[in-house]
Amino acid sequence: MAESEEEVDVLVQRVVKDIANAFRRNPNIDEIGLIPCVEARYNRSPIVLVENKLGVESWCVKLLLPCVHSKLVLYRQRKLWLDRDALTDLTCTLLLLNPDFTTAWNVRKELVQLGALDPLKDLYLGKLALTKFPKSPETWIHRRWVFQKVVQGICLPHSRSNGNLGMVSTEQMHRIIQDEMAVCSAAAGRYPSNYNAWSHRIWVLQHVAKCNLKILLDELSNTKYWVSTHVSDHSGFHYRQFLLKSVAGNSRSAAVTNTGAFMRKPSNKDHRASLPAHMKEESASVEAHTADVPLMIEEEMELCTDLIESYPGHEALWCHRRCVFYLWYCWNRERLQISSDSSNRGDGTVNNLQMATAGSYSCQGMDVDGGAADSAKQGYTQETKRLKRGPSLDLHSLLEEHRFIDAILAGCTNSEQARFATAYRKWLDTVIGQ
Amino acid sequence: MKLYSLSVLYKGATSVNLLKAAYDLSSFSFFQRSSVQEFMTFTSQLIVERSQIGSRAAVKEQDYICHLCVRNDSLAGVVIADSEYPSRVCFTLLDKVLDDFSKYVDCIDWPSGSPTSIHYTGLDAQLARYQNPREADPMCKVQAELDETKVILHNTMESLLDRGEKLDDLVSKSEVLGTQSKAFYKTARKQNSCCEIM
Repeated sequence: MAESEEEVDVLVQRVVKDIANAFRRNPNIDEIGLIPCVEARYNRSPIVLVENKLGVESWCVKLLLPCVHSKLVLYRQRKLWLDRDALTDLTCTLLLLNPDFTTAWNVRKELVQLGALDPLKDLYLGKLALTKFPKSPETWIHRRWVFQKVVQGICLPHSRSNGNLGMVSTEQMHRIIQDEMAVCSAAAGRYPSNYNAWSHRIWVLQHVAKCNLKILLDELSNTKYWVSTHVSDHSGFHYRQFLLKSVAGNSRSAAVTNTGAFMRKPSNKDHRASLPAHMKEESASVEAHTADVPLMIEEEMELCTDLIESYPGHEALWCHRRCVFYLWYCWNRERLQISSDSSNRGDGTVNNLQMATAGSYSCQGMDVDGGAADSAKQGYTQETKRLKRGPSLDLHSLLEEHRFIDAILAGCTNSEQARFATAYRKWLDTVIGQ
Repeated sequence: MKLYSLSVLYKGATSVNLLKAAYDLSSFSFFQRSSVQEFMTFTSQLIVERSQIGSRAAVKEQDYICHLCVRNDSLAGVVIADSEYPSRVCFTLLDKVLDDFSKYVDCIDWPSGSPTSIHYTGLDAQLARYQNPREADPMCKVQAELDETKVILHNTMESLLDRGEKLDDLVSKSEVLGTQSKAFYKTARKQNSCCEIM
């Protein structure tokens, strides 16, 4: 390279300053990007601000990144002193270029803990980084750290001014959750089957929203259009499966435990000892309206049918169908079990039932082509022993499924569609129907 | 499930000229859009150049599928979509657009036409409407038999080229692509990874 170390240093200082200024000038920046640009122009800033988009000319990145990177490392090794503002600006630049540099996020964690940095700024920075790096694992991980802080109500500056002892209000929390859903959705749109984005979304519902029933149902309706326009996105459908299972799990607990119970039992995850205040007031009202699970499942099956017929040859749709049908199967089986068990219900029986079906909701039994078929069969035999005295399976649904498969096979010209339909039939026969 | 571009072209004896095009680049990063647009124009032209009159084809390239229809009167259309968008609907759209275009624009103007000289405004609306394939084509579910055998499938752009021809050469020689786009192409080719930083 022809540039001297001094020139590079000047460039670095300039870029860091320009980026910080850009944010000051325009607090509505919503996207970052790289501008392909071959020729280096040292006398002009490589930072470009157009409307609400912040761009970095590509020529400077290979000079900038190593320099900024080593500055931070030197700071960490205590060989270089940087004050808080300098650290903030430096890490900001670094993370916009490479959001997977964990150390930079960790430095910001320290600043947040010292009260020198507003954690919401980190959410904003992460959101921008995700516009260019939608999968960035470290960005998602840092977001979860920030949320944990927010949920604990510790670091939010606004809540302190409310004089509310650092507790976050319900409205604020709901808004934060909604914003996060939007961030996840945007990232999911930028990269197909963005597992990191979708699993983060699930995490937020579990640990921030605490699987609040209304939020789950809202999410179910909010993501319907998205999955309909991203029919091969496995992660998107997996998210809906999580929602369905959580709602079913919630409703099951509400039905089984007496309505006198104050706390909702969680579906799969460990439950923390206490809910934050804003959630306690809600759970009481939730008891009043549990979801109509059969209707919810039926609508999901209809959606699935609709998409399978309109867009032949997408495996994600058939996988989704297996999950939803399996959920329906488990739910029905349990309903029958509960009604036949009502005469001899004791705490012990109920708990066993919950343990059994909690497991079966998450046990997929999806893969017929692999070894999983055996374990699914095994699970089924154990259940059959328990249910021997219960009423028989819901044959109607099973027959409908077979009719659906026959119709698809009769009419389709797409070879993949035929393959998926056949595999689905095999799965039904092996796992469900006897 | 997206449509990115819709173009109408004329396949002349020695060259192909673009008559009109519409683009939806909203899903691309802001600073890449102009390059992406140029590439879509370049690709559409190239595909028409290398196809026979009176043919249909679908060319797959990475996550994109370019659907092409060249009519017997040398009027051609190209739709570039993602891999989820149903192909059948693309061909329906092409037939519709070419039909409509030929009604409004006289065929005398085709051989020498360009986007500035041609007055036709229907493309943007059609592109927008067909973003939702089911709304635009309610017959989506009816398994209307498009004669699949007539659609030539190409798994890569390279298979359209002559022996010895390289896509890289065509890109650098192209008049449609600006210097920035060419630079973009070079770097994109070098690092075909999803985690590129520079």
